[in-house]
This record gives sequence, C-alpha cells and structure tokens, in this order.
Amino acid sequence: MKNFVGSRALPDLVYHCPENMNALMALFDTIQGEYKIVAGCTDFIPAVRGGRWSFNDGLSLIDIKKIDELNFIKETDGIVTIGAVTPLSTIMSSDIVQKHAPGLCHAMSTMASPQVRNVGTMGGNIAMSSPAGDTVPSLLALGASVIIKGKQEEKKVALDQFFTGPGKNIMASNEVLKAIEFPALKADESVHFQKIGTRDAVIISIVSAASFLKVENGVCKAARIALGSVAPTPIRVPKAEAFLKNKPATREVLAQCAELVAREISPITDLRASADYRRDLSETLSRRTLMACLDDLNP
Amino acid sequence: MENRETRLISGKGQYADDLDFPGMAHLVFVGSPHAHAVIKRLEVDKALKVPGVLTVITGQEMVKYTNPLPVQANFKSKGWTWRLAHVYAMPKDKVRWYGEPVAAVVAEDEKTARKAADLVEVEYEPLAVTGNALEALEPDAPKLYDDWEDNKQVHLKFDFGEPETAFEEADQVMHIKTREGRVTGLPIEGRGCVANYNLKKDTLEMWGSFQTPYLARHNIAATLGMPEVKVKINAVDIGGAFGLKIHAWKENVVALASKLTGRHVKWFEPQKDFIVTGPHQRDVFWEGDVAFKNDGTLLGVKATVTHDLGVESTNKGIAALSIFPACSAVPNMYRWKGMHIEGVGAATNKSFYCAYRGYGKDKGIKFIEHALNQIARKLGMTPEAIRLKNYIQPDEFPYHQINSYVYDSGDYPGTLKKALDMANVDEVRAKKEQYLKEGKYIGVGVISAIEPAGVAVPNCQMGGITQARVQITADGTIEVHSDRTEIGQGSEASHAIIVSNILGCNREDVLVKPVTSDYIGQGPLSSRGAVYPASAVAKAAKILKKKVSQCAAAFLKVDEASLVMEGGLIFSSNNPDEKLTYKELAEKSYFFPGPRGLPPEILKNHDHLLDVTTTWYSPTTPDSGSSYTSFCTSADVAVVEVDIDTGATKIIKYAHVHDAGTIIDKQIVDGQIHGGIVQGIGEALSERLDYNEKGQLMTSSFSTYLIPTAVEAPDIEVAHLETPSPFTETGSKGMGEAPIIGSKAVILAAIEDALTPFNIEVNESPATPERVRSWIVAARKEQEESK
Amino acid sequence: MKMPVTLNINNTTWNLDIDANATLLEVLRNNVLNQQSVHRSCEEGECGACTVLMDGKPVNSCLVMAASAQGSTIITSEGLMRGDELHPLMKAFVDELGLQCGFCTPGMVMSAYALINQWEDEELSDMDIRKAIEGNLCRCTGYVNIVNSIRRAKQAKDAGNWW
Repeated sequence: MKNFVGSRALPDLVYHCPENMNALMALFDTIQGEYKIVAGCTDFIPAVRGGRWSFNDGLSLIDIKKIDELNFIKETDGIVTIGAVTPLSTIMSSDIVQKHAPGLCHAMSTMASPQVRNVGTMGGNIAMSSPAGDTVPSLLALGASVIIKGKQEEKKVALDQFFTGPGKNIMASNEVLKAIEFPALKADESVHFQKIGTRDAVIISIVSAASFLKVENGVCKAARIALGSVAPTPIRVPKAEAFLKNKPATREVLAQCAELVAREISPITDLRASADYRRDLSETLSRRTLMACLDDLNP
Repeated sequence: MENRETRLISGKGQYADDLDFPGMAHLVFVGSPHAHAVIKRLEVDKALKVPGVLTVITGQEMVKYTNPLPVQANFKSKGWTWRLAHVYAMPKDKVRWYGEPVAAVVAEDEKTARKAADLVEVEYEPLAVTGNALEALEPDAPKLYDDWEDNKQVHLKFDFGEPETAFEEADQVMHIKTREGRVTGLPIEGRGCVANYNLKKDTLEMWGSFQTPYLARHNIAATLGMPEVKVKINAVDIGGAFGLKIHAWKENVVALASKLTGRHVKWFEPQKDFIVTGPHQRDVFWEGDVAFKNDGTLLGVKATVTHDLGVESTNKGIAALSIFPACSAVPNMYRWKGMHIEGVGAATNKSFYCAYRGYGKDKGIKFIEHALNQIARKLGMTPEAIRLKNYIQPDEFPYHQINSYVYDSGDYPGTLKKALDMANVDEVRAKKEQYLKEGKYIGVGVISAIEPAGVAVPNCQMGGITQARVQITADGTIEVHSDRTEIGQGSEASHAIIVSNILGCNREDVLVKPVTSDYIGQGPLSSRGAVYPASAVAKAAKILKKKVSQCAAAFLKVDEASLVMEGGLIFSSNNPDEKLTYKELAEKSYFFPGPRGLPPEILKNHDHLLDVTTTWYSPTTPDSGSSYTSFCTSADVAVVEVDIDTGATKIIKYAHVHDAGTIIDKQIVDGQIHGGIVQGIGEALSERLDYNEKGQLMTSSFSTYLIPTAVEAPDIEVAHLETPSPFTETGSKGMGEAPIIGSKAVILAAIEDALTPFNIEVNESPATPERVRSWIVAARKEQEESK
Repeated sequence: MKMPVTLNINNTTWNLDIDANATLLEVLRNNVLNQQSVHRSCEEGECGACTVLMDGKPVNSCLVMAASAQGSTIITSEGLMRGDELHPLMKAFVDELGLQCGFCTPGMVMSAYALINQWEDEELSDMDIRKAIEGNLCRCTGYVNIVNSIRRAKQAKDAGNWW
C-alpha cells in the first residue's frame, strides 16, 4: 500500500502545447513514453496530488487548450456543436446554448466553482468519464453525440455508447475528443437537470438526473431520462423511457415513470451515499425533472 | 499605525507559508496507510538517494534524540480512570491511526521532499482496528496500548447537588439518547512552522502558526530535553485556528530536523494532512434520564457521555480534558436539584482529539437542550415555555450553579424573548398548517445557552494565570504584550481599544505586539481572550494610568485628581490650555526626569518608568473552584424548510441574541457570532469525519469534508444585550464559543419541528439529506404499519 | 524540464524560466515574483485561497499549469492596489470587517472583483454575491460581513469610485 502523503509532487514533465489538430496528430507519432492529454488540468492536478495517478518515470503532458479548432460553440441547421476545450463557463453563458438547451446551462452552473468552470472544459468532463460527471446526464437527455478524431479518421458516436466503465471510455490513446453535438430543442421539447449533494454548492452529486420530454397534443412523443452516480457510468433508463412513449403527458403518468426509473437502476453504496438513498433520489429527481419539462411545455 | 486588516488585505500578511530564510530546507511527513499495524521494516535508502534529500527522520531518531511527549493534564486522583500513553512524536514500532507519521523527509526544496516521501519503504503487519468508542469498550476489542487494561482512557464521575432527591421528587422521568458525529474545525490554513536550531548556542527558535506559544515552548523544550530559556516560539499571522493550533506535536519533529541538519527547516502542512492527522472533536454518545415535574419544572439528570477520543498519542491528556466541560455544562442556565453525570473516553484507531470551538461545553448543552425540547413536546409546552419556567432569574446573580460554576450576570429570559421576537416565531407557527397543506415542511428551532469562558483548571497546563505588559515608549507610542495570539478573533484590535480607552490615548498609537513565548498564559482558547488576557492588559493599563497621572501632574504642576486624559492629550480640567502629549510625557519622564521635572519620591520609587507587567487570575475561581469566570448568554432561533423527498434542509431565517457583557467592539463580536454560527450549521448538516471499516478516513479534503460555502450559509440577524460581568476588568465576557453551541443545536431542533407530522426525534448529527430522508422513510413505514 | 514562459503579472511583463511541472501558484509565490497574497492551502482547487484573475477571469492558480498560462495576463490582489492606496473593494472589506484571519481574503477579493467588474445591472442580489464566492471557502466570518463588504463595494463602483 502506498504511503499516506498529504500532497504529492507533480511528476517530471515534458510539456507540449500543439497549436492545431495537425500538430496534435503529428505529436502522437513522435511522442515517447507515457503521455496524458489535458485541457483545463482541473482533474489532472488533484489526481496526482492525491496519489490516484502516479507517473514514476515522468510524463509528457499534451495541453490541447490552445487548439482553436476545439474551442467554439455553433448552431447549424438545428444542430448545436460545442468544441471539446470550450470552458464550462463559456458554455454556461453562451446565448446559443441558453437558447437551444437551457437545461445544459443550468447543469453547468451547478458544477464545481466559478474558478473551476473558468478553466474546466466539457470535453474534459466527458473524457474523464466519471459516473458523477455533471455535464453528461443533460447531454444524454439531449441525445448528444461525441466527435472523436484519430489519426486516420473522424467518427461520431452516440454519447450513450461512449462510456465503458468508471473513468473508462471507447477512445484509444491516440484519439482525441473533438466536439459534442446535439439537436437544438424544438418548441415542443424540453430538458431539465437536477442534482442532490450533501451540500448545495461546489459538490459532487449523490445523484444527478436530466430528463428530455417531447409532448405533442398532450401526448409524450419521446422521452429520454439520464442519471449520474447510480451506475459505473452515467446511464439512460430505456425501460422507463419506453413506458412514456405515446402516453398522456400527465403528472400521474410522469410519476409512474419515475417509479420505474428507481426499479430499473442498481446503484451502489459508497462514501457519498447508500444504494437505497440513491434509488430513492433517482425517483424524486426523475419525477421533478420530468414535471419541470411538462411545466415548460404546458405553461 | 496601519491597522491589521489593512496590512493583511494589502497582501502584507506573513503566514507560516510565507516564511523564508536563506538556506532553508523543507520537511514533508510520510504517513501510515494503515489504521493499526506493526512496523516490520522501514527503509529510507531510496528516499535518501534522491538528489536534494538531506535526511529522513523516523521513530528511531525520535527515540534516540528526544523524550516522550510530556504529560499536559493528569487527573489520576479521586478514583477516576485517567490513562496516558508513553509515546514519542513519531512511533518506532507501531502505528495507531491512518496517516500517523512514521517518517519525515528533509530536502533542499519541498518538491523533492514530496517526491522522496513516496520512496520511504515501510512494511507493515496490519492489526485489527478499533473503529468507534462503543466497540472499543467491548471486552474483546483490540487494544491500542499494550500496557493498558483495556481501551478505556478516561472515566469521570460527577455528583452535582442532590441527584437522588431530584429523582425522588419527579413526576416523570424521560430517557434520552443522542449522538454527535466526529468533526474538525478546519481553518483554511493548515499548520506550519520554521525551526532554527543554532548549533553554536544550542538554542532553538521557531516561527509559525502557534496558537499558544507559551505552551508550545514548554512542551517542545521538554520533548527536546532543552531548558525553556533556550527556546523561543514566535506566532506569525495565523490563518484561523479555532483551537486546532494549540498543541505542538509535529513541530517537535521539525525542531529536531533543524538540529540534525543545522539548517532552518520549514514544514507547511497540506490540508489533507491537517484533516487526517489533525485534531478532531465531538464524536459522542449520550444516554441518560431527565427528571421533571408535570408542570415542566426541571429536577435532575443522570447521564453518561461516551467520547471517541481517537489515539492518546499526541497531546497527553489535554484532549481528554474536554470531557470535564461536557459533563459540567449540562445544567446550562436552569435551576436544578441535582445531577449525576459520568464522562467516559475511549481510545480508538482514529486521529487524536483536541480542542475545537466549544471544547465539550457544546456537548453538554446540546444534550440538555435536546432533552428540554423532548420534555416540552411531551408536556404540550412550547420550547420557550419550558425554558422560561426554569431559567435562573436576573436578580439571582452571582448564582452558584450545582456544578460549582459561579454565574456572573445575565438576563436569560430577556435574551430569549428578544430572539423569538426577531424571528417572528408566532407568525411562522400560525402559518404552519397552511404550509403543510402546500406540502412545505417548515420548522422553528429554539435554543438558549450559556458559554462558560476563560478556563482555569488545576493539575494541567490550563492553569489560568496570565501575564500582560503595557509600555509607553520614549516616543509616546504604546506597546502591548500578552499571550493572546491573533487568530482572526480581534485580539489586536480589542487590546488596542482597551488600552486607548483607559489611557485616553489614540488607538493608532497603540501597537499590539505579535505574541511570543515570552509572556505567560495559555493564549486564546476557551474564549479566554476577553476574560484573562484582556483583564491582564486592562489591569496593566490601569496601573500605568496611575503612573502617567503622577508624572503628568508633576510636570504640569497640577492636582492629580484634576487630570483628564483624552484624545492622546493629558491636561488638568482646571487649566485645559496647558497640555501634554504622550510623546512629551514619555520624553520628559525618560530623558529629563531630573530635579526640575519630577519630585524625588517618584524617582526614588522608579515610578517614572512607564512600563507595567502584571498578571491576572479569576476572582471567583479560588474560593468556588469554578473553572470558568464569565458566562455569556445566547439565544438562537432558526426557521428551516425540509424537502421531505430529498431530505435537504434549507435555512430560511436565523436570529441570534447575545449577551457578552460590556462589548469591546461590536463589529468584532458580530463577526465571531456569524462565524461560529456557520461552523455550527456545518456540524449540524454536512460535516462528517467518516472512517471506513479499515479505519481509513474517507472524508479528508474540502470536497468530502463539507464545510458550508457562502451559498448554504444563511443571512444572520444579530442583536445584543449588555449585562456587564462583575468579575472581569472590563465587564466583558468571553464569547467565541456560544454561537457554535447554539447553532448546531438549533438547526436540529428546527428540523425536528418541521418533521412534526412524522413524529421524529432528531437526535443524531449531522442531519445530512440522506439521514433526514432515511428518518422520514422509516417513520412513514412505521405509520403505515401501525394503521 | 525548464521552459520559458511569458506572463503579464499586475501590469508587468515577465520572461521566466520555469519548471514544466510548476503550477501557476508555485510560480507566483516563488522568490522572483513573491506574490504572497496568493495563498496555498488545498492545492486541489477546492478552497479558493489561491484565486487570481487569468485574462480577467478568476481561476484557482493551484489548478493551472504555469506552462499553460503562457501569454496570459494575471492579476493578483496586490495588483488591485494603487501604490499604498487600497482598492475601493479592499477598503470595503476593511470597513465592514469582511476578514478575520485574512487567509482566504485575497482570493475572496479576486472573486468579488471579477463579479463586480462584469456586473452591469443596478441590482446585485445577495444570492448573486454568494454564488460568485461559492468557490472561496471561509471558516471565520460565516460570510455575512463578506457579503456586506461586496455589496458596499458595488455601491462604491456605482458611485464611480472604482478602478
């Protein structure tokens, strides 16, 4: 077992700061030894200080923050695309995102602190693939995809196919997360996000939930419900989502759906909360986010 | 002179981490990943090979070069259990808690020391872990100290008044159980210091975040086997303390490192280290009976409080001392017939216990206030009604409480009534039905408390006596010395106000000096500041004023009785045009005192030396044995809303009324109140030192040990009463702890009130969302089953 | 590995030779720059004591690799002073006793400065203030006087007393 050391030194580093995607791809060919791709470093530094990550033989740090091609927010033909290294605070206050996915802006406003949001990126939050990543449930609810760039090709993968376990995802070490895209919300669609932690602010979620609801003529035409911190990865609950399909959009039906959410998941007990509480909260937060969508759509 | 706040906000603070000396080396501690284990093998070779590493100190060196840590409090007498452990600042053969330092790496720079810290190789043989106080007291529990019979470190038994009569006269007896979780004070700055051992002179000087330099010198000198006169401890700017920076322990290792390397050695503690290997508090189980009459008259208590003290390894009795106030605070501000209280402390494999704001007073009061609320509920009384019925009345002071405390002054009913008015309690209660219909669970909590302040206890280092010095320098500025370090609680400003008020000089001309080990006293702990050091400073200033009067009267050739001192000027009311400034007075007194200046009697008595060093000790303690001198009062009323689906609590309103006697500076007092209240809210709702089954601390950072941020902290409405204490020099009372005592209790009381429909007794803290929700789920289940 | 970095700190441009594994906090506090108002505590971005402005925005300097700050403009709380004169925001903290031990204060001041600087509305609610400083932990003040200080500073700015 490792010694207890209050705060560890950062490893000996070779620092790379490619200015564009071509330079980054070329770097993958030449780089020697162990390397890490970083943007905001808000996860990297604590992981090293706390001893969760150690690099005894040194490390090459590839900082992609200055690649302009990865730093943008745009909306084209009803698709919103956000570059991977766009800081959380920029997304939060973006008019485009505010207009097309206000629930996502709200989710970001509940994450970490202003200081961390000013450097932390959405791509980083996704690539870290924590089950508690707070950007993810809203993005799953929005039906987002990620665009992954490798040496040979660029591919688009649905976000719900991206995560493979805690801290794990489908990306190879010479691939980089380029952007996230999702359809802009239409007038009959809404997304809401809520989370619960032991404190209100600057807190890791015990459970987070985001719901997407599309209601036509009082009938649920589509629903997506996503949860954080209740499984090894952020997840959707397909059975509960299917239950809503073509059901009348009433509070009773949404409450029934939320009960199904709680039955569909198998959370664990850990430092932050028990499995029972997580299951219980999943129902409450699913219900509340679904109801909030309904309130938006039936003013 | 530039005031302290201006200096600090301009970035001119000199905190421990700002200390820098030429050739300074850096020390980093290496801790055990096991909670309880035998050290089989410890290799430092790899660490020593890292370029820049100067030495690695282990338990072997501590045994070789230092003494075991000195005893700080010993109460073995009176048939009580009081066990102490024979340990060094770092262990040689056995670790007893997660994070316990087993080695210290000293290197040219901190980064190198940190890197080498991972390379110290230690082989452990893990032992069974004793995880909490109740388990520790089981007959077959793994023992922490081989030479102890069992893990029971302390067992104290107190009879206050006539407990048997109290229970004989009772109409009813109620059984009460409460549980408080383990917490820590967690100032934003960890501990830190620089040691410089001068090999030529065999002297040691240290600078750092020492809350009590005088005690630090005593204990570090004893550990290093040095005469105290060869050790000097200097407090620098301290980034918060709250009791956690009182005792010196790791500092001994830093001192030894300097001695072994001949270099200045700096240690700055990372926050995680401070939480894992720092002082902890609370973690108590209360169980007992309260006797009362059907009309709500309180009669007696029989109760036991069991403390989880963690290891008895670093502060040698001074932590266990906090069991005394826990037991003695139970009577609070009410009339009683008698009590039998037992205080038990168990050693466990957790970090050690030490002081944190409240220091046990909070525990006794929280227990009895909780009990009062349960009794009130049972009798159909409001929480205020039962309190108003049992309060000691304003005309009964000084009041000799059954536990030997001598209460100095106060208006207990007035304090509570004012708080109830401020929070519009009647209005909130009137709307409760309506709120419930809307699905809103709103509750009102009512708590009142005294704060025993300014400790003096025999048989331990908290002896009380305190020294202060006030000197007028030759240029007329005034220098003030005491033991009261500035830890953010306004020591410097308070002393400057006291001295300038007494001498009639300008506040800007008073310089309150940084505290060193040169002046005797235990520093700011147990809210001593406004009791002991402030009284000592005031007493010195008053004696000095007499000297000033004598000299000034002689220089001005006027009658001493006619002298006026104000605005930095000294003059006779008979002749206001002829004035002396303090500068003129000091120059004349020191440099030209000769025959034309001062009369021979003054010169013969040396009364022209405008410099007074004096001491102060409580006027009540010697006769009564009251271990505290002043007793400020507070009343807290909180209104909360509980989200019953998530268990989350939101504070809607918070009112606090405080009576700290004569107020020295309202802004400082208000600041103490706000800060204490929010710390109490953290304890009540979210702060939790959570050990896993292996004895590892899981909540060891700011992201897991959850102190309130600005978002959860409520706005706080504060009002004051001022009932002067007859027992202090200034009429003021110690007041730093009352806010945390009341707030942590009142939030729980308010949650309990909000959950009235579920009939839940909120007797466990912290009331995290998860815990509150689990109570609701269980209560609903019970309600359904009973249908 | 050593590497060159150019930083503009409090209106002075510095060409520095830094360790590639140094954080911005370590570089600011070193002997050359000596920005001792930037306090070190958790080193993991949780307490906010090391908050500085990087290109106008508050960041935890312990979470920024100094190398990645290349070319940026940094303001520490020392940089708000005009000679010996306190910035109106700092003055408000002194007047309202928005500090006790003073350790979290410089970081708190930087978050507050960023808030007030970019706040254009007349109205600034207490919750807006509290949210802006949620990443700056304070253990002494209970935040009440800090909120009062920031509110007072906003009034100073509205009255034209600001830089």
